[in-house]
This record gives sequence, C-alpha cells and structure tokens, in this order.
Amino acid sequence: MTAEKSSDAQAADDEPEFNVADLDLGFAEEVAAKPGGEYIRRCYSCGMCVAGCPVAEVEPRYSPRRLIRMILLGLRAEVLQSDFLWLCCNCYTCMERCPQAIRIPDIIRAAKNIAAAEGRLPANLKTVSASVTKIGRLYEIEEFDNKKRVKAGLPELQTKLEDVERLMRK
Amino acid sequence: MGLAKGSPRTGFYICHCGTNIADTVDVDAVRRHAEELPGVVVSCDYKYMCSDPGQELIIQDIKEHRLERVVVAACSPLLHEATFRGAVERGGLNPFLFHMVNIREQDAWVHEDRAQATRKARDLIRAAIRRVAYHRPLERMRVGVNPNTLIIGGGIAGINAALNLSMAGKRVYLVEREPTIGGHMAKYDKTFPTLDCAACILTPKMSAVRDSRNIVLWTYSEVEKIDGYIGNFRVQVRRKPRYVDEETCVGCMQCVDACIYKDARFPSEFELGLKKRKPVYMPFPQAVPPVVAIDPKTCLHFKTGKCKEPCKEACARDSIRFDQREVVEEIEVGQIIVATGFQTFDPARLPQYGYGEFPNVYTSLEIERLVNASGPTGGQVLLRNGQVPQSVGILHCVGSRDENTNRWCSTVCCMTALKLAHLVKEHTGATVYSFYIDMRCTGKGYEEFYDRMMREGVQFVRGRVGEVRDWEMAPEEEGKLVLRVEDTLAGFVRRIPVDLVILAVGMEPRADAEAVQRMLHISRSNDGFFLERHPKLAPVETTTDGVYLAGCCQGPKDIPSAVAQGSAAAAHVLAMISKGHIELEPNTVAVLDDCSGCKTCIPLCPYHALTLNEESKKAQVNLALCKGCGTCAAACPSGSITQNLFEDEQIDAEIEETLAHV
Amino acid sequence: MSACEPKTDKKLRYALFLGCNIPVRATNYELSARKVAEALGIEFVDIPDFSCCGYPLADEDRNETLLMSARNLALAEKAGCDICALCSACTGALTEAAHYLHEDEAARARVNDRLAALGLKYSGKTRVVHFARVLAQEVGAEAIRAKIVKSLNGIRVAPHYGCHYLKPSGLYGFDNVEDPKTLDQLIALTGAEPVDYHGKLRCCGGGILAVDEGVALSVTRGKLESVKKAQADAIGLVCPFCGIMYDTNQKKVESRFDREFGVPVLFLSQLLGLAMGFGADELGMKVNRVKPKEILAKVGA
Repeated sequence: MTAEKSSDAQAADDEPEFNVADLDLGFAEEVAAKPGGEYIRRCYSCGMCVAGCPVAEVEPRYSPRRLIRMILLGLRAEVLQSDFLWLCCNCYTCMERCPQAIRIPDIIRAAKNIAAAEGRLPANLKTVSASVTKIGRLYEIEEFDNKKRVKAGLPELQTKLEDVERLMRK
Repeated sequence: MGLAKGSPRTGFYICHCGTNIADTVDVDAVRRHAEELPGVVVSCDYKYMCSDPGQELIIQDIKEHRLERVVVAACSPLLHEATFRGAVERGGLNPFLFHMVNIREQDAWVHEDRAQATRKARDLIRAAIRRVAYHRPLERMRVGVNPNTLIIGGGIAGINAALNLSMAGKRVYLVEREPTIGGHMAKYDKTFPTLDCAACILTPKMSAVRDSRNIVLWTYSEVEKIDGYIGNFRVQVRRKPRYVDEETCVGCMQCVDACIYKDARFPSEFELGLKKRKPVYMPFPQAVPPVVAIDPKTCLHFKTGKCKEPCKEACARDSIRFDQREVVEEIEVGQIIVATGFQTFDPARLPQYGYGEFPNVYTSLEIERLVNASGPTGGQVLLRNGQVPQSVGILHCVGSRDENTNRWCSTVCCMTALKLAHLVKEHTGATVYSFYIDMRCTGKGYEEFYDRMMREGVQFVRGRVGEVRDWEMAPEEEGKLVLRVEDTLAGFVRRIPVDLVILAVGMEPRADAEAVQRMLHISRSNDGFFLERHPKLAPVETTTDGVYLAGCCQGPKDIPSAVAQGSAAAAHVLAMISKGHIELEPNTVAVLDDCSGCKTCIPLCPYHALTLNEESKKAQVNLALCKGCGTCAAACPSGSITQNLFEDEQIDAEIEETLAHV
Repeated sequence: MSACEPKTDKKLRYALFLGCNIPVRATNYELSARKVAEALGIEFVDIPDFSCCGYPLADEDRNETLLMSARNLALAEKAGCDICALCSACTGALTEAAHYLHEDEAARARVNDRLAALGLKYSGKTRVVHFARVLAQEVGAEAIRAKIVKSLNGIRVAPHYGCHYLKPSGLYGFDNVEDPKTLDQLIALTGAEPVDYHGKLRCCGGGILAVDEGVALSVTRGKLESVKKAQADAIGLVCPFCGIMYDTNQKKVESRFDREFGVPVLFLSQLLGLAMGFGADELGMKVNRVKPKEILAKVGA
C-alpha cells in the first residue's frame, strides 16, 4: 500500500491559514450560476472524481474534490489564485463516474472563467487565446504552408480569417 | 333562488383550527354571513370542530333543530370528512346529507390578504350550502370477504405472513417461483448484528410452512392472472413441471446419486454458479419442499430422449415423472400479499470495478455462499486459484447512491459489508479494508456492531473506490488487484493492493416488477419498487384494496423489517377476514338507461370496474371496483353515467353560487 | 453485436473539419483520412473559411468558445453539410455547441446577434460527428472489409480512445465509455491485433500541456510505459492532440524520465490506409516522428 503523497499536508504547508471572516459564501452561487455549475451543492465528497483522475494520479496537488469543497466553503481567493485550478485536463472521467452526476469539469471551467475575468489567465493560455481570436487558429497558415499542402495533394486553406477577428473583437 | 320546496333546514359550522384558519379568515364574519342564507337555522363557529365537543355541537343541533343538512367549513376532507360524517350519523342523519368545505389548505394557508381570504371563504360556504340541499341519502354497500389469502413470494417476508395467517387458522396459498422457499435469506451465512446463523433461524420457519395444514405451498409456480376485487379475487397459478411427484418424493437423493451424469457439471442457481449441480437436483439440503427437481434444459432424457433413466430406477417411491405437464390452478382468495422480493445489482454495469473481468472480484451475495459452511467451498474463503487471500477490499454502495445506476441507498449493505468484514477476517485472517462513503448503521445494535468492527481492526477508508485494476505500478502490487481510492478523511489518493475484492451490491426491484405491477393494478415509486399507499401511515397497503406489500418488493430493508412488514400485512388481512365484509363508499357511478353501449368508458376506467353487459348491450359497473373517480361520467358522450355526490344539479348549484358574486 | 454497424445507406457527404493542428502539424492524419474516405465513398466538402473550433478559448470564456463554434456550424449549415471532424477535441467542442444551440433558443439568439455582423445566421441544424464514428456507424464493418487488400496480420496495435471521442457520453450516446469497443473493432478490420493494456482509457494529458508541461508529460508517460509493457507494435489513435502527446512529444517524455519507448503512433486512417493498399507516402508516414519502419517493412508499403 502506498500513499501517493499527503497533499493536504503539503497544501497546509504551502497555504496561509484562512480567516473565517474572509470566506466568500456567495462563491458557490457564483459558480453554480454558470452553465453546468448548478449541481455543485450535491457533492457528498466521496472522492470518486479524484480516484479516477489521470492528473491526480501524477500530481497530488490536484484534487477535483478539494476544489469543490473549497468553492462550497467560500475560499474564493484561494481557488482563483491557485495554480492547481488550471490542471484539469478536461478528460471527463470524473463526470462520467460521479455518483451525484455533478458536471465537475464544467464547475472547474466556471471557476477558471471567473479567474480569467479577473485577469488570472495563465500566460501561456493568454497566448493561445490571443492567437485564436486574432488569426482564427492556433497556428497561422502562411503561403508557405499552403504551398506545402498543395504539393502533398491537399487543398489550400484561407491564410487570413479576418472574419474571426471581427467576430471575436471585444 | 332557493329550492322549489323551500330550502332544507341546514346547520353550518366553521372551525378556527386554532389559529390556522382564524388568523387569515374572519371566522365570525363568515358565520354571520351564513346565518343569513336560505335554510340555515344554525350557524356557529368553534375553535376545533374535529374535537369531541366540536362534534357534539353537530350531534345536539341535529336533534334540537331537526337539521336536514350539515355543512362544516374546516380543513381538507382527506383529514376529517370521515370524522364529521360519523358525527352526522350519530346525530341520526344520513351521513351523506353532509358537505365539507376546505377553507384551510385551499384558503387560509394559501392567502395573505385577510379581507380577500374571508371573501373567498364566504363564496365557498355559500356554494356548499346551496349544493348540500341537493344531496340525497346514500347507503354504503357491503361485500363479503373470502377468508383465503394468496401470498406471492416465499422469502422471509412471505413465509412470516403465511405463518401468521396459518396460526390464526386461515387458509393461505403460498406461491413461489423457485423450486424451494427461503428466498435470499436462505443464501446468507450469518445475520447481522448478532451473527446468528441464517439457516438456523430460517429453516424452522420453512419447515413450519411445510407442516402447516393451512398453507397450500406451490413452489416452482407463478401467478399468471388476477381478476376481481377485494374480498373476491380469482387467481390463476401456473405450476411448472418439476418432473417429480411432490406427494411421494421424500428428498432421499437416490435419484441424484444415480443420475447418468456421474459428476455435477451444470451451474447451480442457488449457489450463484459457484458450484455445480446435476440435471436432477435439490437446490440445497434444507430445501422446502424437500423434493428434487429435474431441469429439462440439461437432463439427457429431454435433450436426446436417449437416457437410460437410472434416476427412475433408483427411486424406490416411483416419484420420477417425465410425463408431468404444466398445470394451471384456479383459486379464489379474498386478499393478496405481494412479497416478491428484490434482485441484487449486477456490477457488470460498472466495468471499472472489473466484475467478470477479474476472477477474484466477487459480489457480497457470492461471498455469503463462500463463508457458508454448507456452501461450495465448505465455508472457506478462497481465491479462484485455491489460495487463501491475505488482503481483502470491500466496496460499499456498488449500485447504490449513484446517479449512473441506482439513486437510492439500499440501507442494508453497510451492515452486510461489516458482517462480511468480520466473517472474512475470521475465516482467513486477512487484512480487510472497508471503503465507505457514509456508514449507515441505524438499526438496533447496528452501531455497536460497527464499533466492534473498528476494534477488530477492520481498515476503514472513507472514499468511493474509483477503479479496480490489475495495473501494477510498484513491486508490492504485482499479482494483486489494485484499488485506487481517495482517502477523503486524510485527503490523499491511495493505491491499495488486495487479493480479493467484494462488491457490496445494492438492492433493486426485480426485473419483472412492472409485469407484477400491471397484474395487480398497483403502483411503483420512481425507483421501481412497489408503492405503498402512504409512506408513513399506510406502509403495507397499496392503492388497490385488498393487496398488501411485504418485504423488499416495497423497498430495500433488513430482515427484521421484512419480517415485521410480513406480520403487518397478515394483520391487515386478518382484520378484514375478521370483519367478514367490506363497506364500499357510495360515491360510485350509475349507468342510466339511455346508455348506447358505445364502450367509450370501458378502457378509460383505471380500476377496470366497467364492462359491457352482453345481454343488455349497455355498460355495467362493478360497484365493488368503482372508486368514484368520475372519469367515465366525464367521458360519456351521451351523459348516461351519473356519479353519486357529483350529480349535475349538485355541481351546477355549487358553481352557480360560487360565481354569483363575481 | 458489433458496434460497427452501418445505420444508413444514404450517400455520405460531410464538410471536413480540420481544426488547428491537422493542416500544419498532422497532415499525415489529413492525407490518410482523405484517401480512406475516398476509397469508402465518403465525400468531403472543403470549407476554406473554417477556423479553430473554439475549444482553446474555453478556459478563458466559455461563451467565446460557443461563439467560435457557432460560426463554424453556421458555415456548414450554409453549405448544406453536416460536419465530420478528424480531431476529437474539435468534435467535442462543436458537438457541445451544436447541442447547446439546438436546445437553447435564447443562447442561439445571442450568438446570432454577433454572427449577424458577418452576415451569418445559425438555425441549429448542423450535426457533428467524428471521422472514426462515421467509419464505425455509417460506413460499417462490411463495407470497410470489402476494401481491405492487405492484411496487417501480426501487427499488434494498442488502441487509444482518448477522451473527447467518447465523452461526455451524455452528449454522444455512442460506444461504452468504460469499456469501449469501436476502435478495437476498426483496428481488427485491418487484420492487426488490437492489444489490451493497462490504462487503456487514460487521457493523453494534452489538455494541460500549455499549463504545466511537466504534469502533462507525466500523464503521457503512464500510457507509453504500459503500451511498451504490453509489447504493442504501435499506438492507434484518432486525435491529433493525442498524436502530439504520444508521437511528437515521445522524445521529450523519454529524455525527461530517462526512458526509451520508440513506440510508433499511427492514426486509425493510416492503419486502414495501409490495409487498403495505399503507399507509405500517400498516407503521410514521413510526418510521423517515431518512424513506423518495422510495420511498413512487414506490410511492404
């Protein structure tokens, strides 16, 4: 029998103690108001999400169950400032198995969206967003790429997706 | 307006219901309003009309003021209509010359504005006083009760109900689908929390069933059709051929020994396939009746027609009957107890737990057989390779408390898991892990048993196991089944390697529950179990009079609860037999002469009370079945069906008066 | 019953959705898929204006994902085609958007408000389906078998289902997420042997590559270990993102964890293409980072 690592113990070391007065009791409602977040209050904390999670398997800092508890408890700042919030790889294993039919990836995504709106999107994801909204794709397709494609017998694609930029401009 | 012959002498009573009504409705104003209405000779208010002094007011006034009608404005008729009808009857008036107005649930409780609520109460009572003038005296019909009872299902609930009735000298037909009675309990080893042996306490009851002269026991039989109504049901029972004469067979097993198959090679149903049986077999040694059965699917005589039939030769009593045929028995009974039990959840529906994939993943029911001294291993808990497990993991809530399978808590699996933890530890000395979400030990002595298991050193882990795999990631995991689980109390994920996994499977409705439901015209709750008439106050009755529920067909429960429910059902049956007749509410329908026989009403009746009279070619009502729902009266295209207490002029008067001041 | 049963005998015509990775980084998938589709009589319509599906925006703002998906759905609708996507993540994002916009009229109106600026309108009709699902359910085993000319007999392939090909099951209602069969069956059609291995249902880790490469590659590593242990000759998969993790990043995993795998990673369409007799170049084998030399030698392609 092996414990992968006592992550709570580690979390306790890493994080400052919180003051009950600082709890944001509206945080759960804020998350629940987002699509897919509405079932968060049904969590009975069985840990099945964690026990099937491929990320938790290699990274004990990450626990979907603990994220849900933190949201329910109102640890708004701690959740939104955490780095582990961004570690959900969106594989849906937890959601498929959750005995309470909680849409866990949607809940985590809701928290991510709230964090992003407050300017906490990790730098790499910012770059991804910028290129997708600006050029319409993760990677630009230049004339050079199109030439290569044609040579391989593949059709040319639009190099400039100006429509997308117009659409996504805020 | 007013009646042609002048309004009848009417008494009006309004209840304060403490402050429930009086807080929102100006009771005195309503009383004064009633006083002025045509025919009202008494108008009075009282704090609690349902109390004895409240009822006494009505009784006295009927005599003193020669009342011909009574109206009470109070709570819901569901609660107290019977109470006030009783008072009216005691006062010497026909109880159906009474009408009740609900000014609590339908007025005081749903409004805030006192003036408007009071106005609504005035409108309602005026309508009632107009309506009641058109009431006619009605008589309750009496129907006799057949004293015989059918019990469907011979598990512990059905057995107990049968024995209770038999003790009272009443005749019981006990119908069981399997070749033996005993149900699931016969498969259990020990029972929680006392650890007394299931067989030791069950088999005497099974023998008592066999020995009772009042119980007709039909095993290997199924109820096929039920007609009729409370007190008078007609039932067809299909008795499958077991190819053995039940009267003469004594279960000596000579035939089994002599069978052409020297070795048992077909999976035993009773042993859940963990042991083999021959084509001629006894499910288990204490089976009742102690009669063998021949399975035509595996018996050489039926398969090829070329067996030497040594069983026949071996039988000194000439009990083997290859020519036995299916028989349909017809019986008449007055009441029916449904005790059809449950089935365990099939964990193959959760592939992540590896049931069927890994041979050492068992269900809790299979482990009951393995720890049982008369089971397939003689009581040894062994791995499929014959070795004794060093470590065992028991998973709670498999097929329970899960949106993906069954939502409900099966209520007994926590205790079953604890019991098996104890037994497996006792039999093997293995380290036993118990994976639970919430430990639910709510019966007498149950929490104490949990405490005992903690002291015995069972390793409790709070967490639902995510998966059971044979993926070894560390040397100590080699050759083991690895359980991945978050220890939610410690807050970290554990990988726990074990030799044996036990899935504590939940209880679910039997696959054919819907067919049984239809046959009996009863209901099922959302979970699929049969629905009791009231979740608190009528947990044994159903919505069909004369049909009662006992045991796990109504919902998961432990043995004491199933036994108690069996006895409760028997008590209901005995009460009815003892009374000897049933009284039917007279709010039934009547078919008028101008019925054209169009048959519109017949399929609409939810109680199957309407048929077409083949001679008169008109619809006819079985008053014993009619519940007065009014569906047929509303649907009849020619208005040829009337309903007592809902006659046109009564309803017209009520509507007119309600709307008179709008 | 096999999961690979054709549901329809109507002409299969789809707008081919490539997404971001395939046109520049996984042309092997595109080449092979086009070849296989053509051979099986699936007509692909190219819509050059298709953009990213929108999935990469979901962490920032789910509504932006929805909007970007909607634009693509609207373009397909305008062209009168349903969408066939090669990438599982694209399939997921577009399917989710199609479902949501079909069910929620108000959301559709909001999206259309913004699409109007481009002269587009989405009425909620576009259906989205993964290429492998088209093969399994719409083409079917019989029709595929009829095109097999070269058995991959003796080649052991570890099927990797990944996540968004099957999940969320509530959205797809296809195969069994805990015990899936379709890829095994499609691979078996080539004559190759689908190999069972530990962690078959595990994610590739690609979803967090941009966030934490270390954690992502640790997730990737687990499967490479067990595929290696199961002695598979290759991983067979249906998503370019999974391809990046197992093929493109295999070297990175090897150096990070000081391991050697050398497991070739082939797209299902490359496996099918080999069995249908296409040459290695036609199937873009040059683009594969871990060279499937032994397999190509065995098949003689």
